[in-house]
Amino acid sequence: MRRLQLAAVALAVPGVVLGAVAAQQAFREYPSVEYGRNIPLPPDWQRPGEWTFARLMFPPGPLDGYRGRFDGPWQEGLSLWTQDYPRADRALANAVRRLTRVDARSVEQSVNPDDGDDIYNWPWLYAVQVGEWGLTEKQAQKLRDYLLRGGFFMADDCHGTEEQAYFEKTMKMVFPDRELVDIPNDDPIFHTVFNLDNRYQIPGAEHLATGHKKDGYVAHWKGIYDDKGRIMVAFSLNSDIGDSWEFLDDPRYPAKYSVLGTEIGVNYVVYAMTH
Amino acid sequence: MFELLFKYPGPVFSRGHFVLLSAWPAWLLALLITIATVGLAVLTYRQIADAAPKLRNWRVWVLWAMQSAFVALVLLLLWQPAMMVAALTSQQNIIAVVVDSSKSMAIADENGKTREAAALDVLQSGVLGGIQKRFQTRLYRLGGDLTKIEGLGEVQPTDGATNINGGLKKLAEDTADLPVGAVLLLSDGSQNMAEAGGSGIALETLRALGNRRLPVHTIGFGRTEIAHDVEMEGVSVAPSAVVNSRMQAAISFVQHGYAGQTAKIAVRDGDKTIAAREVKLAPNGAMQTEKMFFSAGEAGARSLQFAIEPMAGEENANNNAMTRPVLVSDAKRRILYIEGEPRWEFKFIRRAEDDDPTIQLVSMLRTSENKIYRQGIKDPSELADGFPSRAEDLFGYAGIIVGSVDADYFTPLQRELLREYADRRGGGVLFLGGHTSLSDGGWGASSVSEMFPTFLPAGRNTFHRNAATVELTPEGVDSAIARLLDDPVKNAERWKKLTYLADYQDAGSPKPGAVVLAEMNVGKRKLPLLITQRYGHGRTAILATGGTWRWQMSEPLGDRSHDLFWQQLLRWLVADSPGPVTASASAHTLMDDGNIRLSASVRDAQFQPAVNAHVTAHMMGPGGVDALIDLQLSQDVAGEYSAAWTAEKPGGYLAEVVAQDTGGQKQELGRDTLAFRREDGVAEQFHTEQNRELLQQLSAQTGGRYWKPEDVKDLPQNISYSEAGVAVRTTNELWNMPAVFLLLLGLLVAEWMLRRRWGIV
Repeated sequence: MRRLQLAAVALAVPGVVLGAVAAQQAFREYPSVEYGRNIPLPPDWQRPGEWTFARLMFPPGPLDGYRGRFDGPWQEGLSLWTQDYPRADRALANAVRRLTRVDARSVEQSVNPDDGDDIYNWPWLYAVQVGEWGLTEKQAQKLRDYLLRGGFFMADDCHGTEEQAYFEKTMKMVFPDRELVDIPNDDPIFHTVFNLDNRYQIPGAEHLATGHKKDGYVAHWKGIYDDKGRIMVAFSLNSDIGDSWEFLDDPRYPAKYSVLGTEIGVNYVVYAMTH
Repeated sequence: MFELLFKYPGPVFSRGHFVLLSAWPAWLLALLITIATVGLAVLTYRQIADAAPKLRNWRVWVLWAMQSAFVALVLLLLWQPAMMVAALTSQQNIIAVVVDSSKSMAIADENGKTREAAALDVLQSGVLGGIQKRFQTRLYRLGGDLTKIEGLGEVQPTDGATNINGGLKKLAEDTADLPVGAVLLLSDGSQNMAEAGGSGIALETLRALGNRRLPVHTIGFGRTEIAHDVEMEGVSVAPSAVVNSRMQAAISFVQHGYAGQTAKIAVRDGDKTIAAREVKLAPNGAMQTEKMFFSAGEAGARSLQFAIEPMAGEENANNNAMTRPVLVSDAKRRILYIEGEPRWEFKFIRRAEDDDPTIQLVSMLRTSENKIYRQGIKDPSELADGFPSRAEDLFGYAGIIVGSVDADYFTPLQRELLREYADRRGGGVLFLGGHTSLSDGGWGASSVSEMFPTFLPAGRNTFHRNAATVELTPEGVDSAIARLLDDPVKNAERWKKLTYLADYQDAGSPKPGAVVLAEMNVGKRKLPLLITQRYGHGRTAILATGGTWRWQMSEPLGDRSHDLFWQQLLRWLVADSPGPVTASASAHTLMDDGNIRLSASVRDAQFQPAVNAHVTAHMMGPGGVDALIDLQLSQDVAGEYSAAWTAEKPGGYLAEVVAQDTGGQKQELGRDTLAFRREDGVAEQFHTEQNRELLQQLSAQTGGRYWKPEDVKDLPQNISYSEAGVAVRTTNELWNMPAVFLLLLGLLVAEWMLRRRWGIV
């Protein structure tokens, strides 16, 4: 009998593993550092869409600002990657629905790069506080693979020289041979839906008074291009676009930031779906 | 023996006319025979009842038949039967002796002698002498052309081609004022320069011979079947392709002596083998056709060789390869892709086409209700007003993709233009699945539903964002569109292992004539995924999903399945879309004969036939051949221009056809280039066995006879029965033939013996 049980386990385990590799992960919610589990699901959360706001889950790095407060397993939420989550995600999804013809899913998808091949199901990926992240070598390889296959990665909420240096260092793990360069104004990414020649720094809600965080005084719009001149990684340095989505309907947060942030988000989404 | 019994030689009966010399009418003969046979029947039947009642059965009628035959034959003899036949008068007629001098006559398969030597032996060992006793002779050698010669010493098997058709026609014309009584042709029948009419004898030639009642006697040389040989029968391959496209060739061949063995077939570009695979050989004499897939390679005109590697002990290895000209173009074909919503399929199709140097994807994407995002446009004005509403704007594209777009997004005029685009202009239209596509986009109820290759289902709930796996149908296995791997079996397996589609749509059931190339497995159901059909002059297709992008994202980095599929699908979409000028040639490979007819179909911007164009062809060929020729407008087909030209030298040729509007602006309407090739002496290496059927057919159709070399003893006498030349008609009475007396006697004796046997004597 025991042998039979062992045989059953031996057959079942590879089956489960293969299933996990092949199948797309279902919607899942994690507690966030700002909201716990208190954000209600929209009524149509089960309706699938063409585009989904996919949020990259990652381990915290040496510059993690939440160290000492949220030190649990990052795979279970309540970690750095859940900053603005899920409110910002759903706000952008809603904006994409309203402003474009993209069939957007109302709820986000949290994507763990260590979950087999799941990351490849979500060709648009967003990560917050990327200057504080702790991307592993294995995750960097996965991200490189993802981007070269055609995925798009929006890296946001990175402020000051120290975070910038750390992010650039980790991105060298992803692309040792490619540089983060300033995206010129005439790049299509700033013109897919809205013409965004006039961009300005978007501070986070906590930094409205100063207009910047740490020594990140000037906003930069950087990117990593592929061999055909297409942006694979869009990096908003010294801006917190996630906050501009998160506080879209908060009267305390200036509308001009939300407007620009939303337009940038929409442009990035449509760019990712056209280039 | 024949003459002993029948008094006259065979041709008197085979070529003569039966006549009755008596002055009495023929109807009287028929009447008398009828009266006699009926009278005999009545008499016999009555008398036998009394004389021998036991024999009142079938035996009575046997006796009656024999008596009737006897009486009928006697009556017939009274009417003086005879054969009238025309025969050439001695020394007043000429017999044309034509000896095949092509290279195939050098094959030594006549008991160790060459066919040529065997033919000369036949002539010199009595046939020619026998003919010359009665007639004058004119000697000819026949290769690609017919040449009069003074003696048999001038016959050498060196000509690179055989043109029996042309040679006999020329002979009939050249000797029109001479009393030629018959033609004697010594050949293996391996004609390889047949004009219209294929490899048989052209009607025109038969007519030329028939007008003079010239019989052609043929003597065949060579074996009718080669014991050990693999011979290429044909290669079907497109004469043009785009760079690096996957080309398909159908290679047909026949083998003798190697049934069941393995042979290697290959495609070569110069010294480089670009595709090769092994095949199992079919039974002896059976036509075998194998498909080969290969890359067209870089742009340029090239001569591709399709070959079967020589087998061990093969008797003729020179017929194992054929060369075909292929023009590889790097011209970009523009495809208009209209998409109703941003979606991943759009992005990944665009990315796939970024890697295809031959396709330019011009896209218009509805990003919001009133915003169109255009990519790949040549200038800011292109598609600035949305989807084209004029034929001259839409018909310039070589293909159209309609993505997730409602039918109602188009005006009725635009929808009709879309239909005409495929039907009249001959373009390709591909409809993609999506949540506002096909039935869900209202296309099933639209005015252009007839252009879809399926009967779209009713309702608007056919699109589902659920996974579906894919597999090829048998037609898909054979299709170049779906060929991800060269090996068809591995390719079919590859498709089954492709990662699942992100979504699927029920496209309905295929229409008659449509071809389903791939299917989707949705639960326990199978739905058509890729359906194609011809529609009017063009073609339409459905790809019932918007989720092939997963093949790019979820297959390993570097896997080309997604890109290859899309590149091949879109190349198929535009491959047969004609440009404003479409050049064609009467043949792309000229065998020993340089005559070629160039044609060009010229259309204006609206793709209506252009009847006021000046069309020229710039001909470039080997050895500095450089000529400019004008093509003339056809009186029969609107917009068709053509000209005849001769490629004098063997080698590869290019013809660049340019059409100019002769109106006020004299603007260029378009241009097209084609490649062709002249090959001399190659065809002679093929079909080297004796074509007895052709020689027999030629003799039968002209009133001559086919002879085997060993049976030519009677030929000199036989050849004199001809109505051509100076002939006299002779009357040959039949009543005194020994066979007649023997028959009469035989009938009487047989009847007497039967009567004895049955006991009524």
